[in-house]
Amino acid sequence: MTDARTMAYINMYAVLGTLENLCELDDKAKEIISTLKKPVSLAFEVKDGPAATLTFTAKGCRMEDGVTKCDIKIPVSSCEKFNKIINGEVTPVPTKGLTKVGFLLKTFTALTDRLTELMRPTEEALKDPAFFELSTILTFYTISVALSQIGNQDAIGKASASYIADGDVCFAIKDGPAATIRTKNNHLVTIKKKPENPRAIMQFDNIRLANDLFNGKINSLECIGRGTVEIRGMLSMVDNLNRILDRVALYLA
Amino acid sequence: MSKFPEFKHDKSHEYFDRAVKVIPSGIYGHLGPAEGLWVPVSKWPFYSEKAQGTYFWDVDGNKYIDYMCAYGPNVLGYNDPDVDAAAMKQMKLGNCTTSPSKVMVECAENLVDTVASADWAFFCKNGSDTTTLAVMSARAHTHKKKIIFLKGYYHGDFQWAQKIDYPGITPEDVANNVVVPWFDLDALQRAYDENNGDIAGLIAQPYDHGNFKDNEVASKEYWQAVRAWCDKNGVVLIFDDVRAGFRLDLAGSDHYYGIKADLICFCKALANGYNMSALCGGEHMKATVSGMTYTGSYWMSAVPFAACIACINKMKALDTPAMFRRMGTQLTDGFKAAAKEHGFDLVVSGEPALFYLRIANDDSLMLHQEWISECVSRGLFLASHHNHFMNAAVTEEDIKLSIEIAEDAFSVVEKRHPELKG
Repeated sequence: MTDARTMAYINMYAVLGTLENLCELDDKAKEIISTLKKPVSLAFEVKDGPAATLTFTAKGCRMEDGVTKCDIKIPVSSCEKFNKIINGEVTPVPTKGLTKVGFLLKTFTALTDRLTELMRPTEEALKDPAFFELSTILTFYTISVALSQIGNQDAIGKASASYIADGDVCFAIKDGPAATIRTKNNHLVTIKKKPENPRAIMQFDNIRLANDLFNGKINSLECIGRGTVEIRGMLSMVDNLNRILDRVALYLA
Repeated sequence: MSKFPEFKHDKSHEYFDRAVKVIPSGIYGHLGPAEGLWVPVSKWPFYSEKAQGTYFWDVDGNKYIDYMCAYGPNVLGYNDPDVDAAAMKQMKLGNCTTSPSKVMVECAENLVDTVASADWAFFCKNGSDTTTLAVMSARAHTHKKKIIFLKGYYHGDFQWAQKIDYPGITPEDVANNVVVPWFDLDALQRAYDENNGDIAGLIAQPYDHGNFKDNEVASKEYWQAVRAWCDKNGVVLIFDDVRAGFRLDLAGSDHYYGIKADLICFCKALANGYNMSALCGGEHMKATVSGMTYTGSYWMSAVPFAACIACINKMKALDTPAMFRRMGTQLTDGFKAAAKEHGFDLVVSGEPALFYLRIANDDSLMLHQEWISECVSRGLFLASHHNHFMNAAVTEEDIKLSIEIAEDAFSVVEKRHPELKG
């Protein structure tokens, strides 16, 4: 079972949050934002749910938690409605920044379409090695952020998080992207960079393996046996993160 | 230069490659690389070829002094001649038969004579079978539904004993589990009150031997207070002695702590590797257990009963708990001294018969994992984050060799980490 509130947090921070990485890593996304003459900030505020502001410039995108100042504001009445917006079933209606609706319709839509193309790839598209790599890296970032959201919001995810000791876990693909999953008092935060002093490490041997694991084609326990998933340090932290990872697949399926 | 050369595990890996094609995860459970926490896996053997005494040989021909003892069952030494002779003799008479063998009665009588709190014995195969029967019996006896667990518990892998976030477990499977901290009597009372007294039983291992943490032994005063609390509130006290049973006290770990549990679960050390487990209990629980619907295809097989009788008799003759305490202390004192010599702070905790190790120089356990893996890859089989097990086949020479390998492994890790010298 999944719940709408957890899904909304995932959609906000893990899915929309991956726009940061898309704008940094993807040439097509870079081209889309290159036309921006000045920064545009877009805020989503979900009632009884997450709130965040995405700021786009010609050079990139950054997400900040909460809504303070923004050019375009989209209040959403419920987590369920926000999830429908992300799924493309409901059109978002801004209450502020109506003059910038062009950004919403053109630039933002183009970026989210490109993100969808990479995150929900066709088998044909994945045959291109560069596309495959980019798709996997973006999925990695989405998953790494979703881990924290599920650990903080989902009832069963919270049970897993309650067993995680304080400290940083390095979640990484060897010679590729890395993230810090930081736990303090059973609350998880994902930072999209490698930790300096991890208490535990979970590292996938290569991009292909990570992709197969993310898509459920292979099992992590078998990979640990083969040594293609490296685990080290406070393994109880990794063990419990792995249980949350199970639920990531459920939410992002 | 390391005194003990590192082992190679080529054949182990060949077998593992074959295994993953036909066995989920290659080796599932506690004997496998994932749950066994082999870090890194390249240093560990995957499959064994043979075993004798306190040693086993892997498929590459490497020989290991084994302080995991198959995670407990090897209590007298692999292939103990007396236990095997009793088993073979029974095998010729009959094993899995329509009418159970009379040796089942003799085995139960032996257990009742041996275990202080036992007035009867109910036989199964694995530890989980007995903990499950114990919990069911507590509910049947009290007509209540909740069970108190102590934090960090492990009582097998049946659904009720797992946790809500484990694969395949539903919230309903564990809805009647109430978890309280160890050594906190007030928490017991709070749990009882918060659940309106709907507590059927309290299940616990004799002391806190959880993983990833130093083991914390209990006191007689603690268990006597828990016993009194259970009596006052009509809660069935279940001792899960699957892991520690017969290693602390042949009369049961409840006896070791000066109490009588209502129900006590045995498995690992019961028959020196022959597959059986037993739930024992007091007379007052017998009628309840008699009424349980609970059986299994192989639960009354005769060969393990014969092995069990021989095993218990030999443990009594050798006074294995005293032997394990003495040898476990000697071994771990040697480990600690070797650690100190190389600048490592090795913390030894738990009972000497089931000692737990942790290098405390870092808070990530990575140094500990390095040391353990260097020990294993030189023939000293230890576990990363699980308590160990002593067995009666360990000799003074084995202990000396173990300490030498441990010292050698410390020197390897020390050289790799010059930063530790500050």
